[in-house]
Amino acid sequence: MKKLILSLFVFLSIAAAALAQDRTITGTVTGKDDGQPIPGVSVKLRGAQGGAQTGADGKYAIKVTAGATGLDFSSIGYVTQYVALKAGNVISVSLAGDSKSLGEVVVTANSIKREKRTLGYSAPTIKTAELTEGGNPSAITSLTGKVAGVNITSTSNTPGSSSRIVLRGGSSISGNNQALIVVDGVPIDNSTTVGGASDLASVDFGNRGNDLAPDDIASVTVLKGPAAAALFGSRASNGALIITTKSGSKGAAKTDITLTTSNTFSSVLKLPEFQNEYGQGYYTGDDVGKPLLVNGVYQYTNDPRENGSWGGPFTGVVQPWGQAIDGVRQQKAYSAVKDNVKDFFKTGFATDNNLSFSGGGDKSTFYLGLNALNSDGPYPGKSDTFNKYGVRFNGTADFSNKFSAGVSFNYVNINSNNVGGGQGNSSVLNNVYQTPRDISLTGLSDLTNKYNGYGYVDGSGRRHDGEYGYYGAYTQNPYWILKNFVNNDNVSRVTGNFNISYKPNSWLDVKERVGIDTYSDRRRLLSPKYSFIPGDDGASGFYTAGDLRSFQGGYEIDQANVTELVHDLMVTARHKFNEDFEGSLMLGNNIRQRSTNFNNTATNTAGGLVVADFYNLSNSNGPVNILLDQMSKRRLFGLYADLNLSYKNFLFLEATGRNDWSSTLPVKNNSFFYPSVSTSFVFSELLKGSSVANWLTYGKVRGSWAQVGNDTDPYQLTTDYRRGLISGGFGTTILPFGNVPGFMINPTLGNPDLKPEKTSSFELGTELGFFDNRFSVDFSYYKNNSKNQIIAVPIAASSGYSFGLVNAGEIQNKGVELSLRGTPVKTTNFSLEMYGTFTKNKSMVVSLMPGVDQISLGGYSGMSIVAAVGKPYGEFYGLTNQTDDQGRTVINASSGLPVRTASAQYLGSYNPDYQASFGTTFKYKQLSLAVLFDTKQGGKFYSRTKNILGFAGSSAITGGERMNQIWPNSVYIVNGQSVVNNSVTYNKQDYYTNSANVFPGVDIVDASYVKFRSASLSYVFTKDQLKRTPFGSLAVGLYGNNLFIWTAKENKYADPEINSSGAGNAQGFDFTAQPSVRNYGINLKVSF
Amino acid sequence: MRTKNIYNPKKLILLVFIGMISLSGCKKFLDINQNPNNPNTVDPNLLLPTAQIAISQVVGNSLQVYGGMWSQFWTQGPSANQYKPIDLYAPANTDSDRPWANLYSKALINSQLIIENKGSNLEFLKGMAYLTKAYSFQIATDAFGDIPLGEALHADNVKPKYAAQELVYDSIFNYIDKGVALLSVTGSNNPGAQDLFFQGDVAKWKAFANTLKLKAYLRLSKVNPAKASAGIAAVYATGTPFLTQDVSIKYTSVGGNDNPLYNEIVALGRAQNLVASSTVVNQFVANGDQRRFKFFVLRSGQTEITSIPQGSYNANAGKLVSLPAGLVGANPSTSSNAALAPVKLFSSSESYFLQAEAAARGWASGNVTTLFTKGITESFTATGITDATVISNYLATAKDGPLALAAAVTPEAKVKAIITQKYYAMCGFQGFEAWTEYRRTGYPDFLVVSVAPPTGTTTKPQRMVYPNSEAIYNGNFPGNVDIFTPVWWAK
Repeated sequence: MKKLILSLFVFLSIAAAALAQDRTITGTVTGKDDGQPIPGVSVKLRGAQGGAQTGADGKYAIKVTAGATGLDFSSIGYVTQYVALKAGNVISVSLAGDSKSLGEVVVTANSIKREKRTLGYSAPTIKTAELTEGGNPSAITSLTGKVAGVNITSTSNTPGSSSRIVLRGGSSISGNNQALIVVDGVPIDNSTTVGGASDLASVDFGNRGNDLAPDDIASVTVLKGPAAAALFGSRASNGALIITTKSGSKGAAKTDITLTTSNTFSSVLKLPEFQNEYGQGYYTGDDVGKPLLVNGVYQYTNDPRENGSWGGPFTGVVQPWGQAIDGVRQQKAYSAVKDNVKDFFKTGFATDNNLSFSGGGDKSTFYLGLNALNSDGPYPGKSDTFNKYGVRFNGTADFSNKFSAGVSFNYVNINSNNVGGGQGNSSVLNNVYQTPRDISLTGLSDLTNKYNGYGYVDGSGRRHDGEYGYYGAYTQNPYWILKNFVNNDNVSRVTGNFNISYKPNSWLDVKERVGIDTYSDRRRLLSPKYSFIPGDDGASGFYTAGDLRSFQGGYEIDQANVTELVHDLMVTARHKFNEDFEGSLMLGNNIRQRSTNFNNTATNTAGGLVVADFYNLSNSNGPVNILLDQMSKRRLFGLYADLNLSYKNFLFLEATGRNDWSSTLPVKNNSFFYPSVSTSFVFSELLKGSSVANWLTYGKVRGSWAQVGNDTDPYQLTTDYRRGLISGGFGTTILPFGNVPGFMINPTLGNPDLKPEKTSSFELGTELGFFDNRFSVDFSYYKNNSKNQIIAVPIAASSGYSFGLVNAGEIQNKGVELSLRGTPVKTTNFSLEMYGTFTKNKSMVVSLMPGVDQISLGGYSGMSIVAAVGKPYGEFYGLTNQTDDQGRTVINASSGLPVRTASAQYLGSYNPDYQASFGTTFKYKQLSLAVLFDTKQGGKFYSRTKNILGFAGSSAITGGERMNQIWPNSVYIVNGQSVVNNSVTYNKQDYYTNSANVFPGVDIVDASYVKFRSASLSYVFTKDQLKRTPFGSLAVGLYGNNLFIWTAKENKYADPEINSSGAGNAQGFDFTAQPSVRNYGINLKVSF
Repeated sequence: MRTKNIYNPKKLILLVFIGMISLSGCKKFLDINQNPNNPNTVDPNLLLPTAQIAISQVVGNSLQVYGGMWSQFWTQGPSANQYKPIDLYAPANTDSDRPWANLYSKALINSQLIIENKGSNLEFLKGMAYLTKAYSFQIATDAFGDIPLGEALHADNVKPKYAAQELVYDSIFNYIDKGVALLSVTGSNNPGAQDLFFQGDVAKWKAFANTLKLKAYLRLSKVNPAKASAGIAAVYATGTPFLTQDVSIKYTSVGGNDNPLYNEIVALGRAQNLVASSTVVNQFVANGDQRRFKFFVLRSGQTEITSIPQGSYNANAGKLVSLPAGLVGANPSTSSNAALAPVKLFSSSESYFLQAEAAARGWASGNVTTLFTKGITESFTATGITDATVISNYLATAKDGPLALAAAVTPEAKVKAIITQKYYAMCGFQGFEAWTEYRRTGYPDFLVVSVAPPTGTTTKPQRMVYPNSEAIYNGNFPGNVDIFTPVWWAK
């Protein structure tokens, strides 16, 4: 771990150029404990000027000048060692670890490297080894459980799927709440745009923050609070992830070539629990629609068209089913296919290959990384594939004239196919879940079979192009959907920066950095055009021409182009006032520009396609539908200052100030200033020599206060007019109407008086190390208040407008974060390390706007997710079953069914009460085993999976006795009094199949879980073992992530982490979202 | 190695200088906040089609479904779910959000912005906007009762107070008068094709205004007959003719320009939510009314329109029920031409039935029988039945036809015959108006209570529920009113 930090530290501590020399000493520096080379060790001449550093392979070369008597080998985290010069030209040393120093270096805002002890805020750092050990292809998801205060939601956990990262709760009511992602000093775009034909048919195209290859990353520092991120300005008000990519090292004896290959298998983690008692059909109704009883036996209709499993109890009797094609129906036993859904999914496979070259000359370094990730997910066929190719080049060069320069370049190309979710035509899961319990899904896979397909060839060889043989009249064959609905995504992205440093003397440092992030994200959504009537020849007695399956088809192109340019100029002056007191002042200028261009175009909504299976906008049946044509540009100009003072290396003070001018705010309000101050006090320095120092090795307290201002999106100041568009709920009337053009006023009122948003934060914390740092603690308490939020508040439509942009509202987040780390056992061959984190964040919407109690953040099917005053941010809000004062369900005295609440109710938040993790690393000689568990407890999620499985009569709760049920713990109201219900009954089919009975609140499910998040077992070969091989190092490992889940008892439906709105604010919605997967595999890392 | 660097101070000065240049150039650098995507002002002629399309969307989609089901032309189909809450008499407040927003923040606000426009020679346009506003406010108040009126449609008032329905009606008459006055100004520019109702035909607009006023005064027949009769007398005194044609927008098969209910059905995956209700079908059969084959379509292999009792979707799972025809927009099939179905903001037959009622009540001149018969024949024509023998056969034999009017002695009995016939004419075409007239008059008298609501329900809906958005966001929201409580003019 230390070694990697050191390699970052390499060119910071480079000494002045050496003068004339007599000879060159070379050697290798290794660690005493593991024998592995240590990069970045400073090698200095004693008695003369001159120095060098070890490369990635631990080798160094130094030119010895006159007067030199010996070499000092020093490195953070190791005891400094002196070796006197002798006759030979080779000096190799092994350094002992220094657990006392904890002199870790972290990369903070603007890529400034700082010693951790000097920081007045929490800034935990994760290194590449920890990041990649679980084998997760998402760098963001890999952070799960590793750091306190970080809430990561990983959706389906497949390559390319979304993962959301929120630090210390959401601070913005309607804006972005995710942490800013900064790569090598340059913020990168982390947008997420959920695709799909509508909100109800979501396709997760991932979020752009996941484009980074974890293998290219050297470290990730999490700047959790505004104090840490103040220098980044407004966009970092939600904290920041500071990602540093790998680099080469100077003076490396040879180019390091490393090949890493990981082969991952994936399978669905959690499927719903099903009933296995009843099959296809429904009860037979009598004259008034009640279940028909004949001789005391309920009668059922085995309607072969049905998607519901509301038929009679299983008998095991072989009986005909489905359509009669060529006059013959298929036969099967009327019994449950228990593992039906499980068997539908296959084992996914992904292979991730990384090849890197790193090294450097005397004055230059380079790193070249190549990645290829090819994945085919758990859906059958090739409909869920993700292929990502990336190349990264990082290089630095020192010039003789006090200049040095660096360049970083990353190109990523992604081509993926994604499966539709939700309830749209393209949703596979929606059809899988609505397959009756007695019909084998895998038996439907052969689409050429006349009983399965759409457009088939009968026994006599005759084609039936307009007919289908599939059994279902209300659902579609999921295999056919997988084959015919395509959601393709192609991303091409370049990120990078170049920087020039000028260091005219020892106390001044000028750095200029220009970064760019530009990508094109092109999505193509293909929906087939079809019209099929049943092929049934009447023998089944059910199918008619009315059981038509038809769709006009469609083709949509969503094109997004986003370009961000960032410039930073930083001038830093350092001064040592006396032996005890030193300081530095940095002045900087930041200019940022973000341009976006979105263009979504589709074939005509009603007309669809002219020619089937031909996907081109020219094939639109009617005028092409322009869904979105929008460009935007915003600029920001900032000036900042950062003052650092330190006293005797134990008392540190940092103050920053920044003033921004934003193009998005009105001229009168577009300049805003925000300060921060933080302090760190390493009190253990004062205890040196006392008895306390025997057990308290390291002790620090820290505190910070900061403000961050924030601007808004472009074009929010005026109320504009736009093309007339009247939505009826599902359908829409669009102008122009024929040749008549029409405009309308924007229902959102602009605001010419907007002011910047302000987030204030306060943090206190401590870091303690005990018994030679065998046990360490890091604790923080924080409180953040975000005020003057710029939000589009919904207003009464009777004003003529639906939303008004205002500066209002306040969100408060307060909480504690605790990290513990201990090494209870450590011997030469064996060590056991344990760590854990605990995070509790309490968010609360303090106020919105006078007269406004809540704002919707999104929602589906009558369930909204809202920001409501006095509630945590992200509260579910919807109708639910009415209960009396004792919590008993109120039912209707005649129907026996629950009565709904008079109005929508608050039903809990998607935010967990607390989250925690526990990990352990176990090492024996070259073998190491790491495992990590994490948990979130107390949040809620809305499960449409629960709803649809109830509707279809497939879920476990629809099993058991179905007729004449008394609603558990129910009462009915007589004259305002609760009367316990012992007599009024209902039957489950009437309840579950009628959407008017099943109020959205009953589908809110406890989201608590414990996950076996990751595990890895690796073996590193020793040098001796590799003696006769071409390999410099070789490691093999087994790994897994998202391996097991334990959920709340009431959650029989889905992994609570899955989400239909990707990384957006409307979290906690399983709107038949893609199931999450467990991944496990084998990797090999070899270097030459 | 600490050498004094002579370049340094200069460098610093240079940096400060660069910084100052940057600051002064800053203003220009940041002046990029003009929206390239949408204009900040538009010609007011561009707003009229939007207002007209919006009112047509409300009347032709959401209110058509509520009205069609509560006037028992249609009921929820057994194979789908979308409109069960309507048959259950349990609509959620959120179900009203969309029609309310389309009325206020689409139809009304864009009319209001035309009226408030400072441009010159816009009198005709403003007259049309006033009449669109009057029509829209009447729809809103007939649906919801008391509604925001005077304080509504102002960007700076986000909690407009509610006006009593009586006051809303007074304002409607006032808006109509203002509209007619503006339409009489000479020298105004004519919006021409931008007017989707009449393509700029001012005479037709005046007929629209007159018929709208007649309809509005008749709505007061129960609550304030004196005012109604006086108002109607004044309407007739102007000598302006009434509408002799439908008022509707011509929809096309182009997606987004198609009938709004059909468009909705397409977006809902063409599910068969709306099917024939036995309430109206049984009466059509009893009258030997051939129009039923135009309002509904036969299922394959069937020779009679198949219907189910109102709200009986549970009892009829799997049953093949007749669907509304493409003629009224509520048919899911492409070949039904439902995309082209008109949304009738007024129908010519309605115009005649209104005049017949005014005459039957003795508040206006005119031959009741002639007007009544004209209303029926206009309705037959509107369904595409042109065979004179079919019409004359109906006129001669149908129990609810001229026979019923002839048998009627009292004005009330005549009104019953007229409204019952108007009800038939509105089947599928004007569901909301049919339900509204039922609420006013109690006719037709054969409507039943849906079987879907809990056992014991004996009353039928009398209004729509207020939208959730008002309850939450309007500080002056007066509170929910039960859907079984009649509105002011029905009391």
